[in-house]
Order: sequence, then structure tokens, then C-alpha cells
Amino acid sequence: METTGMTFTLTRRGLIQLLAATPLAGRARAGEVWDGIVAEARGQTVYFNAWAGSPQINAYIAWVGEALQRRHDIRLEHVKLADTAEAVRRVRDEVTAGRAGSADLLWINGENFRVMKAEKLLFGPFAEDLPNFALVDIAGKPTTRIDFAEATAGLESPWGMAQLTFFADGAKLPTPPLSMPELLELARSAPGRITYPAPPDFHGTTFIKQALAETMADRALLPVQIDRQAFTEAAKPLFEFLDALHPELWRHGKQFPQTQAQMTQMLADGELLVGLTFNPNEPANLVATGTLPSSTIAWQNRGGTIGNTHFVAIPVNSTARQAAQVTANFLLSPEAQARKADLAIWGDPTVLDMAKLTPEDRALFTSAAAPGSVTQPAPAIPEPHGSWVPLIEAAWLERYGA
Amino acid sequence: MARTLRRLTPAQGALPILVLWVLPLAASMLMLLPAIAEPDAWRQLQSHPQLWSALVLSLATGGGASVLALLMSVLVLAGLDRSRALPQLQALAAAGLALPHLAFAIGFGFLIMPTGLIARLIEGGATPPPWVTVQDSWGLSLMLALALKELPFLLIAALAALARGDGTGHLTQERRVAASLGHGAGSVWLRVVLPQLLPSLRWPLVIVFVYGATVVDMALVLGPTQPPTLAVVIWHALNHADAAVNGMGLAMTLLLTSVLAALVATTLLLLQVTLPRLRHWLCAGPSLLAAPRGMAVVTGTMAGLLMLAAILLLALLSVTPRWPYPALMPPAVTFAAWTTLGSSAAPLWLSLLLAATTALAALGLALLWFETQPEGRDRWLIGLALATLALPQLAVAGGQYRLFLGLGLTGTLPGLFLAHLTPVAAYVLIILQGPYRAFDSRYMMVARSLSVPASTAWLRVKLSLLRAPVLTAAAIGFAVSMAQFVPAQLVAAGRYSTLPMEAVTLSAGGNRPLTAAFALCLAAPPLAAFLAASLLGRPRWR
Amino acid sequence: MALSLEEVSIRLDGHTLIKPFTMRLEKGVIVTLMGPSGSGKSTLLSFIAGDLTAPFTATGDVTLDGRNLDGLPPEKRRIGRLFQDDLLFPHMSVAENLLFGMPRGEQQARHAAMTAALAEAGLAGFAERPPQTLSGGQRARVALLRSLLASPGAMLLDEPFNKLDADLRAGLRDFVFRHIAARDIPCLMVTHDRADVPPGGRLLLLGRGEVRDA
Repeated sequence: METTGMTFTLTRRGLIQLLAATPLAGRARAGEVWDGIVAEARGQTVYFNAWAGSPQINAYIAWVGEALQRRHDIRLEHVKLADTAEAVRRVRDEVTAGRAGSADLLWINGENFRVMKAEKLLFGPFAEDLPNFALVDIAGKPTTRIDFAEATAGLESPWGMAQLTFFADGAKLPTPPLSMPELLELARSAPGRITYPAPPDFHGTTFIKQALAETMADRALLPVQIDRQAFTEAAKPLFEFLDALHPELWRHGKQFPQTQAQMTQMLADGELLVGLTFNPNEPANLVATGTLPSSTIAWQNRGGTIGNTHFVAIPVNSTARQAAQVTANFLLSPEAQARKADLAIWGDPTVLDMAKLTPEDRALFTSAAAPGSVTQPAPAIPEPHGSWVPLIEAAWLERYGA
Repeated sequence: MARTLRRLTPAQGALPILVLWVLPLAASMLMLLPAIAEPDAWRQLQSHPQLWSALVLSLATGGGASVLALLMSVLVLAGLDRSRALPQLQALAAAGLALPHLAFAIGFGFLIMPTGLIARLIEGGATPPPWVTVQDSWGLSLMLALALKELPFLLIAALAALARGDGTGHLTQERRVAASLGHGAGSVWLRVVLPQLLPSLRWPLVIVFVYGATVVDMALVLGPTQPPTLAVVIWHALNHADAAVNGMGLAMTLLLTSVLAALVATTLLLLQVTLPRLRHWLCAGPSLLAAPRGMAVVTGTMAGLLMLAAILLLALLSVTPRWPYPALMPPAVTFAAWTTLGSSAAPLWLSLLLAATTALAALGLALLWFETQPEGRDRWLIGLALATLALPQLAVAGGQYRLFLGLGLTGTLPGLFLAHLTPVAAYVLIILQGPYRAFDSRYMMVARSLSVPASTAWLRVKLSLLRAPVLTAAAIGFAVSMAQFVPAQLVAAGRYSTLPMEAVTLSAGGNRPLTAAFALCLAAPPLAAFLAASLLGRPRWR
Repeated sequence: MALSLEEVSIRLDGHTLIKPFTMRLEKGVIVTLMGPSGSGKSTLLSFIAGDLTAPFTATGDVTLDGRNLDGLPPEKRRIGRLFQDDLLFPHMSVAENLLFGMPRGEQQARHAAMTAALAEAGLAGFAERPPQTLSGGQRARVALLRSLLASPGAMLLDEPFNKLDADLRAGLRDFVFRHIAARDIPCLMVTHDRADVPPGGRLLLLGRGEVRDA
């Protein structure tokens, strides 16, 4: 009753006071809402659909499951995927058929996210209401809110950072090429030992985006929508570069490895000189598992390399939305992020802002340099706008595909 | 059982297979039809720069592999005809059949690639030789690997057909007569055995061709990329998140299927026209052509050794995280991959359960059909079975998934069972139809005339005499079930995981030791099934 | 032209099935061999034809027209065989079956010989028929013609009339004997039926491992 009275006796000053207090009240209310979500999440099972091609990542997800079970009484089931698009199609088919969702949380970014967002297949916005989202480095790492030039709009919660990184055996290649022109020089001096995966392999497309970013006259065009005509103009230097590069490549650029993994294997076997990856810590990780020698070096090109963020999202038809949000929040916790960034565990760079962490939490991130880790990080170049990708892939296929 | 069978009307006997197999299958295929009326998909398809070259490559690798496999199997069989090596050949072929395609591709690839074992043995310089032994633009390494991998399948199909011919004793005696008429063993084989064998090899050859033209996993390891085979283009398109790209993939699937069907029909028709022209050669008179024993031994040994080498290399690769060129032995050994695999016990048990139940169910459905239906009706069933195997799996599986989703069967064990039953029943029907219908029903009449109850006669006489083909069909069904990935993954909807699903998803990162360990693990249960079948199915006397 | 067996003996798993014996079959003569089941009659024929299979073993010499056949594969022995079953190749027409063993040569001549043989056997017009559409007696006649058109140096008959109806037997016996006589080659026949023995023909009995004249 008192509150009612207060409302009735609202003065101008009182209103101002109330408005000023709203953030606090809002936060308090948000806290209550969140507590409700955590309470509802108890006993739920989260089917986490995530790419499972790495034993280290799978082990990390298993650890997350144990922690969630212990703290929140949430059962986490890792649905192992070979390709995330599988889950996208499954959600779409389920929604079309009006069936309850089989997936509660997806590991996602880029094209898969763009499609799901456009088709309204995602639950949310929820991401920016997660308590731990406040710790995310949204200023220093803008890709935590812009996924391949697509606004995340709170429909996905950042999980880890990725940036195009090259690696090689330092014993065979003491001075790595730090730019595309230097890579061309290297290819000329070691014909047949350099290559990149064939698009539409994701890594192959990224290599071409990198070459595009390094060769184009005006990089400001990248984040905006582009049409075919403008693309042809902008990509001219790119294809001049590729035309020069291809004859020097493995199999004279007439064949390409099918996947990044195959390329890594060819590097490990000694057929290639340079490998590439989207996880800056993968080379160090591969050294740790014995796939690559301890003389492995990793680098990013001098002017920066294509970088992005990977996320978790909740399908619109999930039957365990609350537990999925609790899971996403836990994945953002300093504890989980630090463990993920540990080279011995996974080595996936954090999305958090160290400055926003307490000293104790900061201390969790003990990033000792290991053999194969990047010594001189370069700035991340945001992914080009989604409209570039089909144009790049089509033009590449047209020129070199058959 | 036979008494029950005899009480069943034909309609009752056909009902189970219609409900459990024909209906879901036909409905799954119908789900593909809307793709035909998708003008956008066809426009996208036409503008794909790799379409025609990829299609030609698919047909060439599939066709070349089938012809090569046929030539090799004819050579081996003609050369080792009636030799004592034949039983061993059968066991070897069973082992080769059990080895998953992907496993063989990886092992074979590591043998021939520029950093592979052969290069290390004969070159061994500081940098690997610039060999174009895998991923060659012509798809030759893919073709060769496919041919080698399909050789066991054709051999087993041919040996089964020959055993059937010999079972009645006629083929053996016909050979005697032909020899007494002045024909050498090679000529006897070509003029008397082969012409009677080829009709039974027709459908196995079609399966080999279609499989070769639509295979994805082997093409990803050994095939070219510029262009890749059409199956790989389709695989990329169907795996895409964008529904429009999926649509193009579906259109490409329909195109590939129609081209394959047209090609098979044309070839069969052409053979019908051209084969009679070869007849004068059949009766051109005696020829002392000897059995190509030397060449057969060389071909058989080479194929066998390559298989064996692939398996041994897989075992070695599974414990070798790094094996840089030109080292002849891996620098370090670790069992990390096998430890990871050790945590996949539940998927293994589920796979074994599904394989056993679907193989048995398929056998039951097939026997029920054959016992209650006139032979003339087999045509439809076998046609549907062949279509199942001929249509790219990704497409049929997609239709099946949408059907099961509507019925609420996704993510359930019954759904998973039916998804496995589809291909298993197709194989079992195709394999069993010939031998089962060739059974001389007079044996049953004799048994009945001895006042033996129908069920006893059926078990003790018919099933006993047909033991070998029935067991082979069950073993192949078991192996087929153990190899299912695409339909299982879709229908399981993340609620269940089978061993192949674990294998494919965990290998998605290209971790070679893990892939190799899984490949070996996937080969073991079918191998055991084949061995059991050949042991139990051994004729009582030779 | 003669088929000679010298000191021929057949063994099965170490024990002697047929003790060493010697005989000579003159051309144009049909010798009949009778004996109980399992006595080794058919095995002897297989040995002469050159396709004896384990667990049987044999010693002794077989010569045809003075040519020692030892070690020669069946196809080089020029010895024709007739079995209980006609064993016409089901994938060939009657004509093709007949041409199958006929020595190579000019196409027209071979066809003429084949047509003449069919006509003579009362089977004119059957050339293009599949063997499955012929009666048992017709098929048996085609089988004999097929053997003879291969110009064998000797014939071995393994119970050739066994599967025929009684009323067909007499006719076929006559047909077979007439044709073999016309070819003027030696012939050894194995049978169970004393009625099969050609009139005035030599009859051998196989018993307790010994071959002797009846």
C-alpha cells in the first residue's frame, strides 16, 4: 500500500530521483529475474550441439557438464556434430514441423548464425542479460557483438575468439612470411610447398578474405554490403595476386587440399611448409599433443588478420531455455573462460576484458608462452560483410574451379 | 515357423515388409519430389561452374572403378578357378568387405602419397617427391582405390553365384565336357562359366558403379578438388546452412540420380544388343587358352597385400601423432586415440544392438516375403531395393528424416531402428533373392512326403541347404548397419549416438590417429560377422 | 587308332580301388564296363579323360594312337565324354553347343557340318532353339553330336542312358552306337544296365578291384 501512496504523491523531483535509481532497480529486478531462471533451470537437460572434432574441446565440454551438474543441477549432453549446419537444418525442420526442439544450445557463428537469425530460428535476445556478459570486452573485441558484420542483437552469447593464424616448423622456415607478398616470395623460392584449402572450405575462404584485405585499395568497403559490379572492381588486385600465386603453389594451384585439417596433416608429414588455422593457439596445442614438433612457430600477418568470435545460441524451440542460459552464463564465467584459454586444456582465447575482472579472477589467466604460440599478436581485421562471401566463392570457382 | 507361414495369406505375409520397409522408403523418396518444382534450385545448379566437369568426373571414376573391379575379379576367378586357394580367397574377400571404405582410403592414401610409405622407401630425400599420386585431376587414385575396395564385394557375389551353379553339380560337369571338347581352362572359363556368371553379377555391378559415382568419404581423401566429383559438390551443398543452397544440392542429387539411372539403363540395353554379336566368338571352336593363373596370383596378391598394408598402416597411424617425411618409423608412439575411443563404449553397444536386430529383422522380413509371395512379385521389391542403394544416401536420408519428424519418430529408438533397417533390408533382399528362389522346391516335397512336419522340414531341409546365403546376407546386413552414418545422425537428432556417428564427428577435426583408430574399430564387428558366417555357412562336405 | 591302358590302377586314400590292369580298345569297338556302385568305374573314366581329382590317385599309362597322354590336360587329350546329364550349355543355342567343340576352320564349312549333323539326327530346324526347349531324348542326341563333332580320338560314356525313359533308351542306344561306329573310334562305356551292352560287344566286369572279361 505504501508504494501505491508513493506513486500517487510523485513530485517532479521524485520522478527524477526514481529515474536516476532505475538502473539500480533494473539491475535488482534483473537479479531477481536471473535467480528465477537459475531456479527453473534446475533439473533440466541441455542438449549442447557442438562440433566435436577435437578431443581437447570435447574434454572441456565434459568438464563444463560436470561443473553445471554440481552447481546448478543441470545435465549437459554434448551432441557431437561434424558440421554445425547439421543442427541448423534440424532446428529449421523441427520448427517447420512444429515439433519440440532437440537442441538447446548451439555452438555457432558466421553463416550459420546469419541464416538462423534471418529465419527467426533463435531464442532471445538473452545474451546481454546474462550476468557475466558485463565482463565481456565489447569495446576491445567488437566482434563479440558483430558476427561477420551481422549484429548479434543478443541472440548469441560470445564464447571464444578466433583469428587467422599461420604456422610452420621453425627449423625449416626460420623467417616466416608476414604478409601476402612475402608469402608469394616464399612460394616462388619453395615451389609446390605452399597452398590453402579449396573454398567453400571455411578456412580456404578465410585465406582469400585475408588476401583480399591485404590487396584491396580501400579496406573500408569490407564491412558494407557489396554488389557484383563493385566487387569485381574491388577484387581486381586480389585476383591479380592469386593469378601470380597459384602457379607457385602445391600442384601448381591446379589442386587444393579439401580441408584445413588435411593441410595440417600435410604440414606435419613434411609435404607443406606453412599451415593455417582460425584458433591462434591450435599450433601450440598440436605441439602439446605431439602432432607438430616443438620447433613449431605461429604468426599473424603484420597488418592484422581476419578475426571473429564464436558464440553459443539457443534455438527458438528449445525445451530447456533456462538451463541453456545458465550454461551460456557459466561459459562466460572467468573460471570457465580461463580454463578454456589454458593451452593444456584447449587454448581458446577469452572474450572477457581483463580490466573488468577482479585480481583473483585475472590471476586465473596464466598464459605462459608455450612452443608454437603466437609471440607477436596482430590486430584483428573484422570479417567482411556477409554479401562478400558468395561473390568471393563464386568468382574463385569461376576462375580456378574447373 | 513354416506352419505359421503356410497359414498366412500372401497379403499377411507381405504386410510387415510393406509397413516397415516399403512404405517408409517410398514416402522418403516422395519427399524429394518437391525439389523438382524448385526453379531457383535448378537455376543455381545450371550456373554452378563445376557442374558438368564434376558430373563427368563422377561418372568416369565410378565407371572406371567398376570396369577395373570387374576385370580384376574375372582375372582372379578365372586364374584361380577350381584351385585350392579359392576358400582362402573367400575369407580374404570377406575381410576386405568388412574394412570401411574410408579406412581403406586413409591407409591406401598413406601408402601412395608423396609423403607416404612407398615414397619414403624408394625416394627418401629431404623433401618429398613431387608425385601426383593422390588427388590427381583425373581421379585415377580414387578410381584405383574404389576398384580395389569393390573387388572383394564382386568376388563374394561371384563366388556365391558360382557356388550356386556348382551346388547343382552342373557347372562342374559342364566344365568337364567343355574340356573334353578341346577347350583349355581359360577358354572354358570365358566361354562357359563367365556367360553364365555375368547375369548374376549384373546388379552387384550396378551397385558398385552407383556407389563409386556417389561416394563422398573416399573422394574427400583421395579425389581431386578442381573440380571434385559431383558427389562432393552435392555433399557441400546439402551440408550448407542456407536452405537455398540445400535446394541446389537436392536438384544436383536428382540430376546425378537420373543420369546414373539413364546410364545404367542404356548400358544394359546396349549390352543386350551387342552381346549377341559376340556369340559367334562363343562357338568359334576349341581354344587351348590356359587359365591366367600367374596374372591371377599377381592381381590377387597385390590386392590382398594392399588391403593388408592399409590395415597395418591404420594400426600404426592410430598410435602415431606425428610421422614426418622421410622417417621410416614413427618417432614416438602414443595411445591417446585409443583412450579417447575407450570412452565410446555406449555407442559401440548401441551399434551392435542395432546391427544385430536390423540384420535379423531384415532376414525375417525377406524370408516372410519369399515364402508367401510368388516369385514374379520380387521384381518390385528388388527394384525398390536397388533404387535405395542407387539414390545418394544424403538425399534419401533427408526425406526419411522429414517423414520421421512428422511422425514423431526422430530421437527415438524405433526411429533409429527403422533408419538402419532401410539399407540393411535392401542389401539382404538383393543378396537373398537369387539363391532363395533358385532353391529346388522338390527337396521340400520329398521331406514332406517323409511325414516330416512342415516346420521341421523348413528348418532342417530348406534353411539348412540355404544356410550359406542366409548367413552371408545376415553378415552383410550386419556390416551395412554398422556403417550407417547419415540417416542415423539425422534421425537420432542428437538423442542417441552410434559408433559410426562418434567416428565421423570425432574425426571431423582431421585427427589422423583418432580417425585410424575408429576405422579399425568399425571394421572389427563386421569382420567377426563375416568370419562367423563363413564358418557356420561352410558346406558340410567339400 | 586305339586306346591303350597299361598297368592302370586307382587308389583312394591309400587303399587300392582298382588293381593294375592292362587293356586295349580297338577303333570302332565299344567296350562296356560294369560293376557295383563305388567300385571306381567312373573314376577310371575321369583318369582316362585327365581330370582325376583328390582324394583319388592313379598310376599307369594311357595312350591314344600311340600318343602317351600322361600329364596332358583334358583339353589336349581329344577324348570325348558323355554323362548321365546331357550338360548342354544353357546359355548357348543348339547350334552354338554343336559348334563349341568343332575344330576351328572356315565358318561356312563348320556351319554346313553342324546343319548336316542335325539333319541326319532328325533335328533339322532345331539349330537356333535354346536347349531347354528340347525333349530329353533330343537333348541326349545333341550332346552326343556335340562330342563327336569335336572329332575325338576316343569316347568315354558314363551311364549315358541312365536318365532316359525306357522307350527312349533303345532308340538312343542305337543312335549312339551307330554314330560311334561310323566315326570308327574306340569307346569305353560304363553302365549298370546289362541291356546297354551292344550286341556282340565286349563286356568287362569290375569287382573286388579286378577288371576281367565277363
